[in-house]
Amino acid sequence: MKQIATFIVNEKRYELAIEPHMLLVEVLRDELGLTGTKQSCGIGNCGACTVLIDGKPVLSCLTLALTVEGKHITTIEALAQGTALHPIQKAFVEHGAIQCGFCTPGMILSAKALLDKNLNPTDREVKYALSGNLCRCTGYVKIIDAVLAAAEAMSKEANT
Amino acid sequence: MSQRLSVVGKRIIQPDAAAKATGAALYASDIMVPGTLIGKVVRSPYPHARITRIDKSKAENLSGVEAIITPEDTAQWQKFDRGMKDLPMIAGGYTVPPDEGVLNERARHFGDAIAAVAAINEHIAEEALELIEVEYEELPFIIDPEEAMKPGAPQISGFAKGNIGKHMSYAFPAGDVQKAFKEAECIVEGTFSTPKQEHCTAETAAAVARLDVNGRLTVWSQCQLPHLARREIAHIFNMPVHRVKIITPFIGGSFGQRGALCAEPICVALALKTGRPVKLVYSREENFIALESRTGFQYTLRMGFQKDGTLTAMDTYMLGRLGGYMGCGPMASAIGMIFGLGHYRCPNRSGEADMVMTNTPMSGAFRGFGNPAIMWGIEQLVDEAAEKLGMDPIEIRLKNIKKAGEIANMGLRLESTYLEECIKRGAEAIGWKEKWGKTKKGTIRRGVGVATMTHCSGAAPLYLDHSNAFIKLNEDGTADLVVHPAPVGQHIWGALSQIAAEELGIHAEDINIVTGDTDVTLFEYGSDASRSTYSVGNATLIAALQAKEQLLERAAGMLGVSAQELEINDRQIFSSTEPKKRISMADVCYDAIYNFKGECLNISGKCSWESKWNSPPTGAFFAEVEVNIETGRVRVIRFVTAMDCGKAINPMAVEGQLEGGIQQGIGYGLTEDYVINKDTGVVETDNYDSYKMPGMMDMPETQVIIIDEPDPKGPFGAKGVGEPGMVGVAPAIANAVYDAVKVRIRDLPITPEKLLNALELARN
Repeated sequence: MKQIATFIVNEKRYELAIEPHMLLVEVLRDELGLTGTKQSCGIGNCGACTVLIDGKPVLSCLTLALTVEGKHITTIEALAQGTALHPIQKAFVEHGAIQCGFCTPGMILSAKALLDKNLNPTDREVKYALSGNLCRCTGYVKIIDAVLAAAEAMSKEANT
Repeated sequence: MSQRLSVVGKRIIQPDAAAKATGAALYASDIMVPGTLIGKVVRSPYPHARITRIDKSKAENLSGVEAIITPEDTAQWQKFDRGMKDLPMIAGGYTVPPDEGVLNERARHFGDAIAAVAAINEHIAEEALELIEVEYEELPFIIDPEEAMKPGAPQISGFAKGNIGKHMSYAFPAGDVQKAFKEAECIVEGTFSTPKQEHCTAETAAAVARLDVNGRLTVWSQCQLPHLARREIAHIFNMPVHRVKIITPFIGGSFGQRGALCAEPICVALALKTGRPVKLVYSREENFIALESRTGFQYTLRMGFQKDGTLTAMDTYMLGRLGGYMGCGPMASAIGMIFGLGHYRCPNRSGEADMVMTNTPMSGAFRGFGNPAIMWGIEQLVDEAAEKLGMDPIEIRLKNIKKAGEIANMGLRLESTYLEECIKRGAEAIGWKEKWGKTKKGTIRRGVGVATMTHCSGAAPLYLDHSNAFIKLNEDGTADLVVHPAPVGQHIWGALSQIAAEELGIHAEDINIVTGDTDVTLFEYGSDASRSTYSVGNATLIAALQAKEQLLERAAGMLGVSAQELEINDRQIFSSTEPKKRISMADVCYDAIYNFKGECLNISGKCSWESKWNSPPTGAFFAEVEVNIETGRVRVIRFVTAMDCGKAINPMAVEGQLEGGIQQGIGYGLTEDYVINKDTGVVETDNYDSYKMPGMMDMPETQVIIIDEPDPKGPFGAKGVGEPGMVGVAPAIANAVYDAVKVRIRDLPITPEKLLNALELARN
């Protein structure tokens, strides 16, 4: 039986009637049409479905939607301001860190969770923070470059 | 060829990157047409079984279920070969008998499609699957290709006598191999095996099909070969081609897997049955069992050398494991032999292969298409010969690699090769002289290894390598380029924009790529065989050249000079002799379109390009590894790829291909093994918890060296670079492991278990 639930997605409130067994990835994609969140393995191994819950990266394919009622959910759609890309998005674009692009939203959100806490990460901290996100195209090299470049850009911005 | 280039060679940002970074890019699995039903497939739990009864009544009564289809329903449609190689694409007329139905009443492998359901949402579709009752009569099955060829083995297909789907002979045999081996002063030989490897595309197979009100069928398809998909879908469903429209959305990875039809046939069948749009997205598990993955091989390989290290003879016999249907698999052996046996200068060569049908999921094309499999053996044997002859692995390779002007792997003249530079620069980057061949001690031992390879730029002369490009210039001097390579992540739109812009003297961002709709695009073979930049690029270049000729002729009239003396740069047309005589491209294009003197013309160019040539990219791969002799674990700590892929149209995109190749090659070399239970026929590795593809922490420090010398035949000197990056990775790792611990693993992947056993054997 459907239940009414309130979700705060990208700082907007949505009251939805959903089945209790619905996963967060289903609510985002099928109910709200936010298809930037991707599903790839369905068992929490690849990170493509990563979203932020209260700023922390969470696998939306393993999260029952009702458990995040009232929490702040951030999806990839929230990062750019109009056509102005978020510094992480900009870095991914400029460093060639995107090939097929299917893992990209999850990668960027994992990177955001890291950089929101630590604007000066080491190479190893970046790898560790993004190690739950699988990519089959890039060999990760340019993704790591992009995150480090974004960190630099964001910390410059923070200091000005 | 030396040209001043202003767009080609630049690290431009890809036109589609921002859409992907913001989540706006739509993939097949994101498409939602109003009224769409969700499809799901019933799959066989047995490797070989006859369906004796299907009871769909309970499922049909479930609220929200719109249709259930079984083999009985799909019998009205044509059987097909999902590799689409029944099409007249291959020189020599190699055809595959259409053998697979949309659904099949005899399951030929674990995961074969038996029935399908369309329902109003995914949960109801899944519930319906559980309610469909299928009774199976289990049949004897066969997993091992050697067993499958024995008399009395269960027969899988009506046409494959003795289960041999196809016998393939090496296409360019030469000399007298038997005599050459008798005369050889050093012979090395071995039996090698390579696994089935799954593509692990980030997006699983997905399709959306909709029957339009006018009876036309629209399919959102991930196929790498969109026009072949259109023709094949029309054929399966008894439609003329013009009633089928393929839309190519963004594709979440392919690597060859989407070179075959994937979710499309069942999705279309459900749409035709219900009259409603249907979306069918495979689960990760289905992606592992219901699609083609890399062909596994066992093969013997022999190489003969003179004392001075000159290679004189090589031969191979390859046994390849096909699945329950033929698909693209047979060509993996043909192509593997062509690339492998044709890599080094060698006067005596022969090769044969049997591609054998088994009750396993299908085998087909995966990046490199047979080349990674055969180079796995060749590059290890070359090292073994070097050791026997007291030579350095670098030295023996430099002695035998082909030079420009010799006959290349595919029987054509090698117009350019910089493999020597690749080997020398790569060796320097890895520190070969300081590191190789040193005595090792301790628990963790380091070693370095090398491997080389040659690949292709496009499919000619084996396949019909046909591409089309159409370009039209707009009234403001921008251009629309109509092409249809598959956007699988290889940055092809950017590369084609650079090629067209360079020729027209405009900027890459002045080009709009019009693509992804077979109603609009001209015929395009598609994106495989490392061909898009080379072949679609050549079509684009010539179309742009035609448009440029029209443009300059108009400009010449406007400026009162001859067209021959005109040049274009930075959107300006000017006289090379009198540079003050100039006009902007926009003014010429505007005047051509809004012309009130009776001379209207939309300046345009069109090229039907058929590649007659192939410019093989060549490359050298260097691995540095650490081997723990107590745990058997191999860790790649550094990897260097040095690639001669002609002129890099966009070096950043080329690096991305090569870096990704290293990752897939490390997976192939160390961890990726597709396990089928021999007793049950069940696939045991069907997601990332059981199948290990490399993650970020598994990657070594990498270095990519692009030689960046133009080839005479490629557009602005480019060669193909999509596939080569993974070809030599695994053998370079194997040779590095040998350097570290003096044991050889010939059976991919190099697992700790195999390595510990080999170390144990070596000690005794």
